[in-house]
Amino acid sequence: MGKIIYLEHAATTPVDERVVRKMEPYFTELFANPATKWTSSISKKVNEAIEEARKNVASLINASPEEIIFTSGGTESDNTALKGIAFANKDKGNEIITTPIEHNAVLKSAERLHELGFVVKYASVDSKGFVDPDEIRKLITEKTLLVSVMHANNEIGTIEPIEEIGKICKEKGVYFHTDTVQTAAHIPINVEKMNIDLLSISSHKFYGPKGVGALYVRNGTKIIPYMDGGGHESGFRSGTLNTTGIIGLGEASRIGKEEQGKRESYIKELRDTLIQKVMEEIPAVYLNGPGDNKRLPGNVSLIIQGIINEPLLVALNERGIIAGGGSACSAGKKKPSHVLTSIGVAAGDLSSVIRMTLGKDNKKEDIDFIVESIKEITKGLRNLSPFWEEK
Amino acid sequence: MYPKIIKEHFADPKNVGKIKNPTNIGSFTTPTGAKAIFYFLIENNVVKDIKYQIAGCPFAIAVCSILSEYAKGKSIDGLKKITMSSLEQFFKIPQEKEDCINMSLNAFLNGLEMTK
Repeated sequence: MGKIIYLEHAATTPVDERVVRKMEPYFTELFANPATKWTSSISKKVNEAIEEARKNVASLINASPEEIIFTSGGTESDNTALKGIAFANKDKGNEIITTPIEHNAVLKSAERLHELGFVVKYASVDSKGFVDPDEIRKLITEKTLLVSVMHANNEIGTIEPIEEIGKICKEKGVYFHTDTVQTAAHIPINVEKMNIDLLSISSHKFYGPKGVGALYVRNGTKIIPYMDGGGHESGFRSGTLNTTGIIGLGEASRIGKEEQGKRESYIKELRDTLIQKVMEEIPAVYLNGPGDNKRLPGNVSLIIQGIINEPLLVALNERGIIAGGGSACSAGKKKPSHVLTSIGVAAGDLSSVIRMTLGKDNKKEDIDFIVESIKEITKGLRNLSPFWEEK
Repeated sequence: MYPKIIKEHFADPKNVGKIKNPTNIGSFTTPTGAKAIFYFLIENNVVKDIKYQIAGCPFAIAVCSILSEYAKGKSIDGLKKITMSSLEQFFKIPQEKEDCINMSLNAFLNGLEMTK
């Protein structure tokens, strides 16, 4: 394989070599089950490493270690937060409030709760993808159990005003959950300052291994476990711990906290250069989501009018550039992205979206090659396209 | 992942564009916004010239190019009989790309049926 320029960091990231090294001993010599720490010395060592990981995850979001529950990833964390709160508090009410641009792990959990008799209300988003905290305030009633609003959107990069939403939830006495899968270790998070009660984290989005994540649950929150069994994680999440994964998540969190500021400013600079150059070099290109500091550091989401994204992505891949589409399918039966339709992207532009999400290992010197490649391929595809001529 | 013939035609599609005074035009649009248009110049039942415009996936683009090369100089009676399975002589059709390929083939067949 030749040189790869990877621009899909919102989908997943490579595991940091320091994280791999930290994990390695726990596959082999330190293989023990941490649950037997009182009777086995290797278990005790493994257990100590798990607790160190818990401290590191807690520290990343300014929580206490006992408020961190290890899970299999963002999807499980979201499912647990929504269903666990709904089921545990159904004597108090039956309403959940969320937004139409959440990840499917939240949306499908909300739909399942709706099937089970809960009422789900959706706060609207504006054309940049922002939720209005005042609308959340108006939607909350005495029957509301939980508000779930993502910290930032994975497709268009919008960073939501969660601190204001958290404040409103606190005033109204309802639980506030936020999915920080796209933001943890990328931008600062503080559960105290932001009044967050529940928060989802996924390790592989910030240079940790796949298949592991965490759910922060504020002390005193009334919630029931999603996984019943042997009573691991203080009875909250049964199942033998994914020790290597958790230790990897802990190390990725430690490094993430240490390097967050440096990474954020470096990646933002790459992002702004990439957006500016593509928009200067290619006509009829539009940015989805906000164009300022309220955008995820690494997110670039563009509509390139007159073309369909799939051949662009395939041709970029042939040049070693791996990018994504906001809406993957051109002719097939796949539904268009719920995020792009929610912010009002015109039907004719839904298949023309390219998403590039930058990471800490992307190089400044690759930006010109990326821009030149998009420009050349777009020119060829527009030359073929009946839509471009129609303009 | 992509058959060699699809890669080649995607990288360098033949007969792209429009014909000034076509005798036949056929198009097909999918619900998800992909579109193909074929332009024909047909004389005495024979395809004298053929061009197309396409916004679709690499398979859809390559199939337009393959069909345009195949059709030139041929009688329209035979071309009207082309089906999805006749395309299998060129490459194996992946199930998830059937809709894309079908779009290009339908635009082609619509053009043969519909005079301008």
